[in-house]
Amino acid sequence: MTTSITESRVSRKAARPSGAPGGRRPKKLGRYFAMSPGLLFLAALSLYPTLYSLVVSFTRWNLSSGEAARFVGVDNFVGLLTDGLFWNSVRVTLVFVFFSVLIELALSFGLALLFFRGFPGDKLLRALIMMPMLCAPVVVGLLARFSLEPTYGIVNQLMRSIGLPTTEFLGNVDLALPTLIAIDVWQWTPFLFLILLAAMQGLPEEVIEASKIDGASWPRIIWHQFLPLLRYPILVGVLLRLIDSFRVYDIVYMTTRGGPVDATSTMSWQIYNVGFRAFNISYAAAFSWLLLLLVLLAANSLMRRMVARS
Amino acid sequence: MKKETNMKVSQKRTAKLRIGALGVITAAAVALSGCAAGAPQNESGKKTLNAIFLPADWGKVVQEKLAPEYEKETGVKVNVELVGRDAIHEKMATLFAGQDSSYDIFNVDYNWIPEFGKGGHLVPLDNAIQDKEDFLPLSLKVATWDNKLLGIPQTVHPATLWYNSALYGDQSMKDQYQAETGRALAVPKTMDEWLTQVKFFNGKTFKGQKLSGWAAQAAKGFGNVHTWLSFAYSFGCNPFNADFTKSTLTTPECIGATERWSEMMKYMPAGANDFTYDSVTTAAQQGSIATAIQWSWGQTATDNPSASKTVGDWQMTTIPTGPTGISSAHLAEWVISVSKYSKNTEEATKFAVWLESKKNDVLQANNGGGDPVRASSYSDPTLTEQKIEGNGAARFRRLPTTLEAMKTAQPRPFFPGEESWETALSTELSAISLGQRGVQEGLSRANDAIDKNLSQ
Repeated sequence: MTTSITESRVSRKAARPSGAPGGRRPKKLGRYFAMSPGLLFLAALSLYPTLYSLVVSFTRWNLSSGEAARFVGVDNFVGLLTDGLFWNSVRVTLVFVFFSVLIELALSFGLALLFFRGFPGDKLLRALIMMPMLCAPVVVGLLARFSLEPTYGIVNQLMRSIGLPTTEFLGNVDLALPTLIAIDVWQWTPFLFLILLAAMQGLPEEVIEASKIDGASWPRIIWHQFLPLLRYPILVGVLLRLIDSFRVYDIVYMTTRGGPVDATSTMSWQIYNVGFRAFNISYAAAFSWLLLLLVLLAANSLMRRMVARS
Repeated sequence: MKKETNMKVSQKRTAKLRIGALGVITAAAVALSGCAAGAPQNESGKKTLNAIFLPADWGKVVQEKLAPEYEKETGVKVNVELVGRDAIHEKMATLFAGQDSSYDIFNVDYNWIPEFGKGGHLVPLDNAIQDKEDFLPLSLKVATWDNKLLGIPQTVHPATLWYNSALYGDQSMKDQYQAETGRALAVPKTMDEWLTQVKFFNGKTFKGQKLSGWAAQAAKGFGNVHTWLSFAYSFGCNPFNADFTKSTLTTPECIGATERWSEMMKYMPAGANDFTYDSVTTAAQQGSIATAIQWSWGQTATDNPSASKTVGDWQMTTIPTGPTGISSAHLAEWVISVSKYSKNTEEATKFAVWLESKKNDVLQANNGGGDPVRASSYSDPTLTEQKIEGNGAARFRRLPTTLEAMKTAQPRPFFPGEESWETALSTELSAISLGQRGVQEGLSRANDAIDKNLSQ
């Protein structure tokens, strides 16, 4: 078998025209030449800054000081690992990511099941459900800030009208992070819903029918048929949301600015504070690399688990 | 046949190469146009300046009135971009790091003067102003770093104590206060008197509004620090040693000030821990607070009939004195600075100086652009004789208080690491006001965090 494959490769190679004008080298060169603008852009806008930030993370450099960066080895990383604010931001970020993605997944799965079979008016409702996702996170943050304001905000006015007490959603240490999670869930559940609904509608009808004929109840069909068959769409959706949730910044900026105290100080917010308020750009670069590592670790472990189970 | 195929292949390859070359040329063109975007533009030989101002009233006045006026007078076009506070700070640092000449003039919060002054990014303007003696001395002091004037003061806002004069003049309130405290209701002179009044007013109803004792900026970030500073300075607290090498937040004066501030936080409206300048303004406009610590120029908003129920009612006095008899407000001020990397430093300097001529200082104040920086403007009849339409109250009745407050006001700690200092202190003040930490514990933690920052 191995011999036949090798032979076929050799024969295909031999069959290719060599030398000009049909030669392989000029053709390859042409391709690279055509790709060069894209590659150049990629290198200039993504690769170079990424590598540069790695270099900066090993220096001491304050952007506003006017002084040149100087090499300090791993000082920034050591400083971070012994910094209480760093560990607090890791904790806040992990709590935010875990709960927001979990709730979004559960809600979107439920919604997709609801819309899977269709019902009168489902198209209109589906369009309405999509709307939060179409808003910019900054706008969502601003809306949340106004709506949740204790004295004049609409949410508290409604709560008072039914006899509930005024609640400081964004100013209370215990409520601020759950409130941000709720805002994120409101905005991004439609995204997972869209992925899951599309995947559900692509499931083979015969499988469901066969299960029904075998006497399986809906919960059993969902558990034993839907979930295994939807594993990969779920994986893709969760991965995208996971990565997006790790870098949550906009709604924090627009609503709590990391407060009250440091209850909503996520890693991205802390990086902004260090990098663009204190201009300690080297410390912020090291911080960003640790965030990247954390995202990679989380994404990788999730993928491994899913692949291993399949 | 084979020849034809070869020709087709060759033509295809040529077409691909052309597309590739076009792509490279387009990329290069886009990149070059991006580089060129920052260069100063000339419109038929006209000089052009690019400026960034805060989107507050004083920035809008420059954009809408003064820049077009300057162009008429001199032929120099000034493009004014309005950008939020944080974004100005970020832009300045990044542009200066790249020695970028895209912008000639920046509207600068004075606490950035040490930071960018130390980096040598701003043009000294000492010789540009001929009548320095007319400027309020403190306004020039906080625009100076290392004995160089690095910004021309544009507007000052010392914190002042606001009180609702309708409430203080109400006979029923006066009688109740007399009955409850045994004293006549009068504008508070000391922190103790003020606390008594705040407790008295809190929860009372006036003109259909349930009152809170007072309000002030209290949000984490900078708001709570700015309010706290007026307490701190009036209690004789100095947050640093003389050369800014050690945080001194745990002195008895600082602890006393923080305890008082923390106690008074209980008498602010619901959600006060999140209060910004706008929240305080809204509460004052609605008449739902009895007193406030607020920037002086905010009176423009409470006197706006289309947004306020309390037009003409709010009066001001200086911050009440602390236990040592000191009244010292926290100073807010914005200045106009010229970038060292500007290709038009001379023209930019001329424009900055022109913006703060005697005439324009009054014009800016008259258009809602904050309080004047020149002493002469405080007695200018254009301002002092102006009345609120349909109300009769003096539109600039705050000016004598502003002038008085400017004599004893103090800036935020004036050193290059001020923004980091605010961030560290703000977090702990937030914890104290929310009851997460005691005063001493919070201040002690803030001390440690600030000292750690200073050592880096």
